Amino acid sequence: MNVALSRRGAWLLRSFFAVVVVFLYAPIAILVVFSFNDSALPSFPLSGFTLHWYHQFLVNADLRSALETSALVAAISSIGAVLLGVLASIALVRRSFRLKSPVSALLLSPLVIPYVVFGISLLLFFHAVGIPRSVLTVVIGHIVISLPYTVLVLMPRLQQIDVSLDEAAYDLGASRLRAFRSVTLPLLLPAVVSAYLIAFTTSFDEYAVASFVVGTRSTFPIFLYSALRFPNQLPQVIAVAVVVIAVSLVVVIGAEVGRRMVERRLT
Amino acid sequence: MGVETRADTPPAPQRRRRPRLDLTTPTLLGPPLAWLAVFFVVPIAIVGAYSVNALSFDPGPHAVTLSAWHSFLHSSIYLKLFWKSVQMSLLVSTAVVLLAYPLAYFLALSGTKRKYVLLLLLIAPFLTSYLLRVLAWKVILGNEGVINSFLVWTGLRSPDHPLSQLLYSRFAVMLVLGYIWLPFVALPIFVTLESLDRRLFEAATDLGASRWQTFRRVTLPLSLPGVVAAFLFVFIPTLGEFVTPSLVGGASGYMYGNQIVDLFGTGFPDWQTGSVLALFLLGVVALLTIVFSRFLNSREVTAA
Repeated sequence: MNVALSRRGAWLLRSFFAVVVVFLYAPIAILVVFSFNDSALPSFPLSGFTLHWYHQFLVNADLRSALETSALVAAISSIGAVLLGVLASIALVRRSFRLKSPVSALLLSPLVIPYVVFGISLLLFFHAVGIPRSVLTVVIGHIVISLPYTVLVLMPRLQQIDVSLDEAAYDLGASRLRAFRSVTLPLLLPAVVSAYLIAFTTSFDEYAVASFVVGTRSTFPIFLYSALRFPNQLPQVIAVAVVVIAVSLVVVIGAEVGRRMVERRLT
Repeated sequence: MGVETRADTPPAPQRRRRPRLDLTTPTLLGPPLAWLAVFFVVPIAIVGAYSVNALSFDPGPHAVTLSAWHSFLHSSIYLKLFWKSVQMSLLVSTAVVLLAYPLAYFLALSGTKRKYVLLLLLIAPFLTSYLLRVLAWKVILGNEGVINSFLVWTGLRSPDHPLSQLLYSRFAVMLVLGYIWLPFVALPIFVTLESLDRRLFEAATDLGASRWQTFRRVTLPLSLPGVVAAFLFVFIPTLGEFVTPSLVGGASGYMYGNQIVDLFGTGFPDWQTGSVLALFLLGVVALLTIVFSRFLNSREVTAA
């Protein structure tokens, strides 16, 4: 007997769960439907099937350049965030030092800072220092935002890896760096990949902070935001939305399944 | 043991030589802390400098003054707007936590075999683009959008009288924010419920408690840290929200975050007042985080 739920209770909760899932996916489904609708306005009745909007966004040069910029920003900033995240998590998990809890609080604090506050802070900082806004300034901001996510992904995995493996490596004459490279890093790799993917998607989707520090080259969210203000671009944007959501769902689910498979093999 | 064998074999000098770069604690902590100091702590300090006019947008000499702080704390407009944002965020976070609790309870305790698949199903929308989910609601709620055109098409409503309050309203902002955060909120509650010792329920049942009593006296109090964490995970980001209100909020959905952005915008920039507003928001959020993380720590739960 299940002591937490009666059979009727379980049935009720299951139905509720199903309703919520429908609520969560219905707007996305509506986007998919209207991305194929042959009308400049996304409204009922549906007026026929078309691939026109998909074709239009494929030839839209502004959109393509925005996607490229975002891919570049995301690729670079997530490398930075993962590198810093690996260093920080090893220190937090493997080393003992004074002021550990304020240090870890500082490392995680970008998680809770309101992005509007961080955005204007960076804006004022770059203004005061005299650095012009550009792709680089967005990268700098995104590394700060993504860093705590990478730490949160890497730390639990590091805790699972047995320290005595490293100690064995020291006994065999390896330096700490060598032990890390040949022992810890291979075991940590699945988490490094997940951390990279999370940092990448965070950066790729980030609008709030980027809106303050972006230069003349728009990132994809900046492009999207301005396109949302022009109704005649709406059907095209919907088509892009469908493609991006589909890709991100595939990446997210694929990454999760992959990580589970690899970690099961390693442990 | 290892030492003995090493003593027998002749030392291999190349291997023994310590490389210059080694993973000591300062090498490990230096880069991430330096990065955060330069690009996170210093920028916030600069906002502080602007808020007291130590730095200024206007060139020329300027004296340090607390006048912007003073007029902020005595202004009814900004504080009223802040209070309005607090109310909106409170409502959204409460609603979302109440909706997410049964979902998490079902996943953690119903004994379903596919709980991780279902959890992923629930969370996946959170991991897709934020702006695109806002876009979806813009398409749905607009005057000529999906709901209104559907109502007209089916004859339930005349085309001259669409449900105009759907989009560009406080309601639209809260609906969209709730939609965006709901999947994520289930996660911390699920983690807490999942980690509860099942024997506690059995003990309660053995002592004659009904399922409802068990829930109210055992499960709910024990899952409270997860609930508080979940609440905070929504409340903090929605309090400073400006993207969703600027897209679906119109005038009545205007939030405190929008005010901050506008003070730094191209219209009538006032960096000093804007910095005060930003720091005030940061202070409130920091205070909430510290108070609640104390609470969570005292419960000895790391549900984050």
